[in-house]
Amino acid sequence: MADLLHTLSAAELGRRLSAGLLTSRTLCEALIARYHLLNKKVGAFTHLDERDVLTQADASDARRKAGQGRGPLEGIPVAIKDNIAVKGQPLTCSSQMLASLVSPYDAHVTERLRAAGAILYGRLNMDEFAMGSSTENSAIQKTFNPWDLACIPGGSSGGSAAALAAGLVPLALGSDTGGSIRQPASHCGIVGLKPTYGLISRFGLVAFASSLDQIGPMARCIEDCELLLSALASADARDMTCFAVADRALTPAGDAKKLRIGIPKGFLGKGVGAEVATAVTAAIDFYRSQGCAISEVELPSADLAVPTYYVVATAEASSNLGRYDGVRYGHRSASAGTPVEMMTNSRSEGFGAEVKRRILLGTFVLSAGYADAYYMRALRARSKIRAEYLAALATVDVLLTPTVPTPAFKVGEKASDPLQLYLEDIFTIPANLAGLPAISVPCGKSGHLPVGFHLVGAPLSEAKLLAAGRLFESAHGFAHQQAAL
Amino acid sequence: MSSSPSDWEVVIGLEVHVQLHTRAKVFASSPWGFGKEPNEQVDSVVLGLPGTLPVVNREAVEKSILFGLVVGSSVPEQCAWDRKNYFYPDNPKNYQLTQKDFPIVVGGQVEIELPGISRNVMGEHKFVRIHHAHLEEDVGKLSHAGSGSLVDYNRAGVPLLEIVTEPDLRSAAEAEAFLRSLVALLTQAGVADCDMEKGQLRCDCNVSIRRRGAEKLGTRTETKNLNSISSVRDTVIYETARQIRELEAGRTITQETRGWNAELSRGYVLRDKEDAHDYRYFPDPDIPTLRISRETVARLQKLVPESLYDRQRRYVEKLGLPFTAASVLVNDRELAEWFELAVAAHPANPQGIANWVTNDLLRDLAASGAAGALLTDAVPPAVSLASCPIKPAQLAGLVKLTDEGVISKQQAKEVFTEMFKTGQEAVAIVDAKGLRQNSDTGELEKIVQAVIADPAVAKSIAEYRAGNEKAINALKGPIMKRTQGKANPVLIDQLLRKFLG
Amino acid sequence: MAEGFDIDHLAKLARLNLTAAEKVLYSSQLTQILGHFQALAKADLPETIDLARVVSESALRSDEPGPVLGAEAVTRIAPASRDGQISVPRVVDDEA
Ligand SMILES: [Mg+2]
Ligand SMILES: [Zn+2]
Repeated sequence: MADLLHTLSAAELGRRLSAGLLTSRTLCEALIARYHLLNKKVGAFTHLDERDVLTQADASDARRKAGQGRGPLEGIPVAIKDNIAVKGQPLTCSSQMLASLVSPYDAHVTERLRAAGAILYGRLNMDEFAMGSSTENSAIQKTFNPWDLACIPGGSSGGSAAALAAGLVPLALGSDTGGSIRQPASHCGIVGLKPTYGLISRFGLVAFASSLDQIGPMARCIEDCELLLSALASADARDMTCFAVADRALTPAGDAKKLRIGIPKGFLGKGVGAEVATAVTAAIDFYRSQGCAISEVELPSADLAVPTYYVVATAEASSNLGRYDGVRYGHRSASAGTPVEMMTNSRSEGFGAEVKRRILLGTFVLSAGYADAYYMRALRARSKIRAEYLAALATVDVLLTPTVPTPAFKVGEKASDPLQLYLEDIFTIPANLAGLPAISVPCGKSGHLPVGFHLVGAPLSEAKLLAAGRLFESAHGFAHQQAAL
Repeated sequence: MSSSPSDWEVVIGLEVHVQLHTRAKVFASSPWGFGKEPNEQVDSVVLGLPGTLPVVNREAVEKSILFGLVVGSSVPEQCAWDRKNYFYPDNPKNYQLTQKDFPIVVGGQVEIELPGISRNVMGEHKFVRIHHAHLEEDVGKLSHAGSGSLVDYNRAGVPLLEIVTEPDLRSAAEAEAFLRSLVALLTQAGVADCDMEKGQLRCDCNVSIRRRGAEKLGTRTETKNLNSISSVRDTVIYETARQIRELEAGRTITQETRGWNAELSRGYVLRDKEDAHDYRYFPDPDIPTLRISRETVARLQKLVPESLYDRQRRYVEKLGLPFTAASVLVNDRELAEWFELAVAAHPANPQGIANWVTNDLLRDLAASGAAGALLTDAVPPAVSLASCPIKPAQLAGLVKLTDEGVISKQQAKEVFTEMFKTGQEAVAIVDAKGLRQNSDTGELEKIVQAVIADPAVAKSIAEYRAGNEKAINALKGPIMKRTQGKANPVLIDQLLRKFLG
Repeated sequence: MAEGFDIDHLAKLARLNLTAAEKVLYSSQLTQILGHFQALAKADLPETIDLARVVSESALRSDEPGPVLGAEAVTRIAPASRDGQISVPRVVDDEA
């Protein structure tokens, strides 16, 4: 049986654990064996403390035996993107800057997972400080798309998506600032959900752009995604942007066949590849056939989303990453005569090219003489985009588009063209700007590479997104798909 | 031809940073306080560890609002925090959380009193407008050690209220009077302790000069980080003189940031306008805009104490106190409230009570080490009445006994000294010491007659009768001696005059 | 809109050293990206910024002191320290 465990969903593993058909130790040993077999090829994990994992597994098995199991995630491994703090584990953000940092504290979500009995299973590769759409910006290693090892897995949660698609772990945490959960989910053929801004505490998530960042669940099917989401969402007084009460997001939605689905006008014109268009159109047709009301929706400021996002995100990032200066923790340059030199040298040595590019951009848009033209205008544009999305979502339940215009590209293909990479996020960015929940659901292939569609809902409508996803998933064969490796 | 200094007018605006009286830091739950080992009062939020987030301390918010109410400002419905970005080793996140566009307090005014021509004459009063006050975090402390520097983040994240005045001050004396008044308001409302020794109050001082009568403000300089009232006063005097000298020599004033060397009593240039920081302010995305309920404002309004000078006016006008006593009492809220409790117990003689409080009580408290600060004119005048052995009603009892003639003024001093030692009631001390004045007319008459009959005083009697008023005093000693000093002196005087009359 | 764009000034503000080649590369990339941002400059935008999140005082933290890391933990993760303090190259007087 052990050789098949990696194919099972978290929900199914949970059922077997509860039924006494499986122990967490057996499960973890099987996954560790698979890690040894495949991680070098895929590059999903940057760190896995096997002894610690087995200690946690034994503790879980003991709890279960004592009748003190903590719920559906008891004994289930959850892998964690390397920008979410787990006490005693590395917190590198895939950066040289934090290569030596061991977190002295737990993120809120980490505490939630511990409380749910989950196994904190390793650290996942990512674009440095979550800046990127291909995980090529990791300073530690490359991650490859399990469906085609010559291709990128997407990013910045590329390690999370690749680990799931390769069957290295049943559940993973990602973070999403402009599409960093959904875009790699689409590229790797898995489910990824970015919750409503404020549904999940950001305490312990290393900030990229604070007003956009959200932690979210990544899984191989809707049921697992929902399972993980329910474990993560809860009030947290340590994050003032976190909702005090958010039960609505998890209250089961009504009949998915009655959902009103809005299709943004002209989305197919935005550089969408032919096979992506075909798969997404088929998904729309499916929903129509199920009785859903499909209508076209106008979002006049959609074109402002990418520039608005890159101004806001880089501005916040330039400030958030100011703390990495070699003084208190992290990399300190060996050559420095003055504090200014020390900080400057440490930062120059510790940050990679994309991080530097975004810091420079963010510094510029906030600088004296330019802040009004860039940063302040971006805040106004953001207000407008948000208003348009909320207005549209007053008339329909969800908005449907592709998640990414094109399937995963070859490693190195777009590395020299940052602007081209920024456009990868054209469909995912507005949900972050407007603080809305959004999900990517696998819906087909472009060649041998997965394609997903993207649903955005009104604030706290996660249950509707999951219901819509489940309706599609149950009629198609894309759930639980894993690449043959 | 040079003009005299009086041709120039100095214009001063102050930015006063005070550490608010809270237990935890402003955006983190780490405790803070003076005198701890370096970096012992630091948590992951204060240290700016990756992934940590600020959460605003309610007490810091309420103390800020209370300050606003004390100075009669409007408390906005909403306030928000911004990031001020600059790199410095004492600044853990390399941005400071502060309030730029939506501060917690807007407007208001502080009444000040200038020194009078002498200590017992009240000086001129005027109002200094507050532009706004914002709630921000302090930074850590750097110290130099050999070829390097050391950083202690204990102070980082301590709540600071930055109080920004309009440029309403016109002299070093006004700046000093403003700070004294501000400190009294802050400490009396319990907003801040303002202990300058502990760096709890620091000022940035903006100074410019212009020709008297001119409307346009001159170019100003900002002297940063002055940590005592005297440094502010000295800086104003120094900057005024320097700027007059510059202008009269035909040079111009450059807008610059300056420092102050208190040891040398000299200012120096830190950086000029060209090097001005580009702080790249923007709204902090981690702290949502905060709505301040009117209920909170109403609740805090009830905690606003009577203002320093309202109290002073009441003491002078309603209680009939001399200015000197009133001004001493109102400087310290605890002392004033102590005084008022005593007055409540014996409303007939507030002035008598005030005399005891401002002279004897403060002197003895100082001697016992509890009120040294008040008598040395330091700010704040931190009297600790908690340890005062005399309770207000006890002092009132003493004054009452004196007023009723039960004991003499001289005896009262003795009773007070005993009371301060033992904390006993005045009546108990009087009885225990047998100090009660003898006012028994019948008994005294006999004694007076006996003394008059004594040939030893015949000479004095003759002199008195011859018109030497003072000669009568020679008879009082023997009478006192026979009564062991208990005779009511007023009564003796009356009786002597009657019998010798 | 990108006139006045000064890569040296930006690098200094951001505390980054850039090689000559990096300066050329970043300048051209930033110019290209900022060019793409022209859409923002031309757009018809609302005057007011909507504050997506406003919280009431219930989101505030009570004034209860919590745990601290301790100087030992602070200095353990610091790149250099002495006597419980973090050491840095000597700071010259320029108060910010
Ligand atoms: Mg200031
Ligand atoms: Zn300040």
